[in-house]
Amino acid sequence: MAAAYVEDVLLVDRCLTGEPAATRELFRRHRNRVHACLFRVLGSNRDMDDLLQEAFLQVFQSLRGWRAEASLATWVDRVSVRVAYRYLSQRGRRIQTDELPEDDMVAGPDVGPGSRRQLARDGVRRLYAVLDELSPAARLAFTLHEIDGRSLAETAALVGSTVTATKLRVWRARKRIEAQAAQDPVLAEFLEPGTGISGEIIPFDKEAP
Amino acid sequence: MKLVGRVPVEPLDDERMTNIERRIVANAAVAPAPRAPRRVLGFAAAAMAAMAAGVIGWKLGTSPVQTSTVAEAPISIATTATGGTLNIGDATIESDPSTQFVVTRPDGGVLVDLKQGRVELEVAKRTNRPALVVRAGDTDVIVVGTHFSVDWDGSGEVDVRVTEGTVKIVRHKKESLVAAGEAWEPKRGTIKLADAKPVARRTGGGPAVASVTAGESGAGATIGEVSTGSGSAGYEIEIGDGPDVLRGRTAQVPDARTPRTGAGGSNAARTEPRETTPKAGSGSDAGAGDGPINIVALIKQHAVESPVDVGESVSASAVSRYQEMIRNSKTGDEESRAYYGIAYLQAMKMGRTEDALRTISTYERRFAQGRVYPERASIAWLKLRILCSRRLDGECKQVAAAYQRIAGDTAAGRLAERVTLGD
Repeated sequence: MAAAYVEDVLLVDRCLTGEPAATRELFRRHRNRVHACLFRVLGSNRDMDDLLQEAFLQVFQSLRGWRAEASLATWVDRVSVRVAYRYLSQRGRRIQTDELPEDDMVAGPDVGPGSRRQLARDGVRRLYAVLDELSPAARLAFTLHEIDGRSLAETAALVGSTVTATKLRVWRARKRIEAQAAQDPVLAEFLEPGTGISGEIIPFDKEAP
Repeated sequence: MKLVGRVPVEPLDDERMTNIERRIVANAAVAPAPRAPRRVLGFAAAAMAAMAAGVIGWKLGTSPVQTSTVAEAPISIATTATGGTLNIGDATIESDPSTQFVVTRPDGGVLVDLKQGRVELEVAKRTNRPALVVRAGDTDVIVVGTHFSVDWDGSGEVDVRVTEGTVKIVRHKKESLVAAGEAWEPKRGTIKLADAKPVARRTGGGPAVASVTAGESGAGATIGEVSTGSGSAGYEIEIGDGPDVLRGRTAQVPDARTPRTGAGGSNAARTEPRETTPKAGSGSDAGAGDGPINIVALIKQHAVESPVDVGESVSASAVSRYQEMIRNSKTGDEESRAYYGIAYLQAMKMGRTEDALRTISTYERRFAQGRVYPERASIAWLKLRILCSRRLDGECKQVAAAYQRIAGDTAAGRLAERVTLGD
């Protein structure tokens, strides 16, 4: 931990001198995590190039502001979340989530060739369709906590809010999704496998190649 | 509902990630340095500049200024709705709406070829550097470290007024030197500023006005920053060699203080009456040529708009009425009027300028966004009046610049401009 901290400090120092190699190294260290975080918030790679670039440019432009109180990763995440928030605010609530993961990237048991994948894919699509209706703050709180797996405290710190407010946003978002799931068996199955349309898997299987 | 790990992340392919990395490394390298200029190469903007080079071409063949045929890409600017700013490193060019001009760098100098509209230039001292020239039709105004204005309607006469330093005017190969306190007209040549005819700004397709201010700034990078008036985001253009290159060169245009003589004709004069400051007490534009003390006097003389009447002759009672208006207001209009009323009384009637500034500050915060209320200009002038009456310092100039943006080309706006220029 201490070694990582020292490494961060040294790397930042090198970046501040304008050393391109250090800039590259910092980007490479954090790019996958930042990308994953942004992807889980947005649900697609649409505009991801611009967002990643914007996030890291912000990181470098405000690098002098990193006081080494938090880990560099946390600080980079905070900057990235701010970029995501701005993007969501500017784009409005409805983000097109038509760019979905490839079939073979979808998680879940590979049972019933094609069917589970397709179901998961549809589930993700419908989940993000509901998230599109949420406010940027609620979407961020929900996705960071429920999908990216961060604790409430960490999520609150990232979005610059209190734990209570964050908890409330997550709860409301969850209620909204559950309400939608009550009318949407595909979403319900995605959220709680086995409780939604599991009995309807067969037709999907039949369609599968 | 357990979603952690269930939304798979689609990876970006290597090519995309490499491109992002390349752009970040290229752009982030200068970011950490304080006040470092952003070096962003806007591909679209560069393409636009290149296109402009092709379309507009190099039109200096018949120029009265010694020029080179080696041209760096001309930058063509055409503002639409709200004007814009072009930073070319050794000069900043602000343009009004509906302004067109082309910037080129012949022999390391700067040529601002004004087609129509209004531009304002802030120019670094050009000691030992090739000249900066503002071209208005067949007239070249050459900057040698000065403050002057050029009015041109696009087809008629040019009117030049100099308030600081010296400029050289070249027209039809004939050169004239115009010093501070002097004006130049095609028919009369160089005359005393006081004898110059007042010229008026036309409305709608009015005369082009280029005001150029000598300054110490502009020793920065060669990155030009352009914000267009079309509502699009600002973009940046790399426009070639900048001040570092300019500094080492010998001026191609003779210094204005060693005038040449030359043959040439003159044009028929046509000047139009300029809107003047009613209480300026001088026939020239907004008291041009007055010193700082007189500027303060002019500011104080300028009328301050009265607030809405609430039927109270005692100031304290009127303030209470305005406060009541704010509490009960159902529209922003009422609130805006009431705030101005309070600030006006505090500043003009009660001598409580600090309280007035606090009221103005509250007003600015309250109406920072959304609709612009009619009192905005009045309250901005009040703030300018309070601050600049105390001292013509940086804060005063900042407020004056803000007011000038609101007031535009009015008498008070020009007065504010003079404050910002530090006349």
